[in-house]
Amino acid sequence: MSNTLAVVLSISVLASPPHSQDSLMARLRRQSDSLLGTWRDAQRLADVADSLERVRATAGSDTIAVGGLRIIVNPSPLPWRQAAERAWPVIDSLYGSAAADLPRYPYVFRAVDPDSGVRRAVLHVGVELPWDLDVRAVTTVLLTTVTAPDFDPALADWLGTALRPSLRPEIERAAVFVQFVTAPSQAVRGCFLGVIARCKDVLQLGDSTGVVARWYVTPSEREALVTGAFGDYFASGTTALSLQRCRQHRDDACTALLQSLPPGSLPRPLAHAARLLLVREALRAGGRDAYRRLVANPRAPIADRLSSAAGIDIDALVVRWRNAVLAARPAPLTLPWWAGLAAIGWTAIFGFCALRSSRWRL
Amino acid sequence: MRPMFRAILHSQWKWSRLIAVVGTVAAFAIPLLSLQGAARADRGALQAQELLRAVQSWGTLYPLLATALGLLMAIAAWAPDHRGRHIHALTLPLARWRYVLLRFGAGFVLLAPPIAAVLIGSSLAVLTATLPPGLQAYPIALAMRFALAVFVAYAVFFAVSAGTARTAGIVLGVIAALILVQVVASIASIDLNLVNAAQTVLLLGPGPLAVFSGRWMLVDV
Repeated sequence: MSNTLAVVLSISVLASPPHSQDSLMARLRRQSDSLLGTWRDAQRLADVADSLERVRATAGSDTIAVGGLRIIVNPSPLPWRQAAERAWPVIDSLYGSAAADLPRYPYVFRAVDPDSGVRRAVLHVGVELPWDLDVRAVTTVLLTTVTAPDFDPALADWLGTALRPSLRPEIERAAVFVQFVTAPSQAVRGCFLGVIARCKDVLQLGDSTGVVARWYVTPSEREALVTGAFGDYFASGTTALSLQRCRQHRDDACTALLQSLPPGSLPRPLAHAARLLLVREALRAGGRDAYRRLVANPRAPIADRLSSAAGIDIDALVVRWRNAVLAARPAPLTLPWWAGLAAIGWTAIFGFCALRSSRWRL
Repeated sequence: MRPMFRAILHSQWKWSRLIAVVGTVAAFAIPLLSLQGAARADRGALQAQELLRAVQSWGTLYPLLATALGLLMAIAAWAPDHRGRHIHALTLPLARWRYVLLRFGAGFVLLAPPIAAVLIGSSLAVLTATLPPGLQAYPIALAMRFALAVFVAYAVFFAVSAGTARTAGIVLGVIAALILVQVVASIASIDLNLVNAAQTVLLLGPGPLAVFSGRWMLVDV
């Protein structure tokens, strides 16, 4: 009897774990389904709230249409139409045929009293602007807030900024030239001197493995980066010892510290303006459909996308970009001829004043 | 006229030789110090920024030196006359304007050595340095700018020194009045910025002090 009982008990014990495990799994699945359902409900509610807020924000507003631009605004003295007529050709020249998709991304603006003491309705949709701006300022607002059509996260990550029309292209190019010359990176220097492989490295267009060694080629650059930009970051915790070794010119420690940084936090040797300029060059080379080709395949490598947009080989595009940067060398800080003449003129004027002085008559 | 100029130049040299010598030494040394050790070829890509930073920091000394030279040289040109109550000048067989012109010209001659020192020092500094690719040296432009700044500063202070106490009083009075108006406007919350306006008139465009503004770079992109 006791043997029989023992066997029955053993069987029941052996059988119970899969059963209980199964019920645990089922319970967890139910919970996750419930959470997913709740999240979807919340999402729907948020969409409804956004929609209602949008209706509230745009109630009583007008829609101004110029080219592909759609501007939803409340009645105000702001010169929206004139500004849009100025902004549209610039936007159209950047996005090309894709600018026709811009009606999907309307601007929502609300003109408000420039007096900050006046009470305003709180809105969560659109941008508030004081109603006393002139055409130039409103045009600038339109150019700097336009939404690039179908701009995917991969391109945004690589670019590091939004792709919008440039307000001052010459200054932007000159800034890249200054970076070319002053960036503390031998790779950038190599690019400046014409090594296209280095240009592709610093623009992150080719192989992305070993990016630390590609961007910061020499041990002194890596040490300067760790001890300078990341000195405080590595100074405490488990990395403090490595930082100390790095400060003692141990390159292995410096490299290891830089490799331990979270993805995307290693400073780019060239700022985003350089990449922005490359994209602009690709769009300029590729004609009106260039932007469409650029955003056509978000999963493709950036180099392929740029090459496809420009319609030329990526190396040729980088050469073109480099030539554009070199051509934008800023004007030297020499005095203009008229400033020299002005200084001589002022010297003569003050000299003449001295000649007319009356001390002699004392 | 030439012996007269030589005599005035000689007397002015005696009064201001210390200023001229010290100014010349300083003008020669600043460009050399600004590029000191910052431009060795073995320093790699890190050096360009450091070099530009050093050159920019040292560059602030050029307008200061130009102003100091102009001021001291102008004071030295007139101090003995003021002390002697212009009796010596009155005894000379010269019209007032000729006398002032000779003094003015003598000052320019004495300011030539510091200007030449900036040119020579800058050229020497650039020749002995290895500049990173992409950077360019502007020794002649710097020396020309320094010369213009020295001349303007000297002319301004020479005119002030040559004037009467009444003239100086009028100039100071105008400045004080401007400051007073600015203070009153600020108190009354009136949108009036005379300081900015004065700055624009004096330092920008063809203003008298425009040559002093901006960066003074011996080396730049």
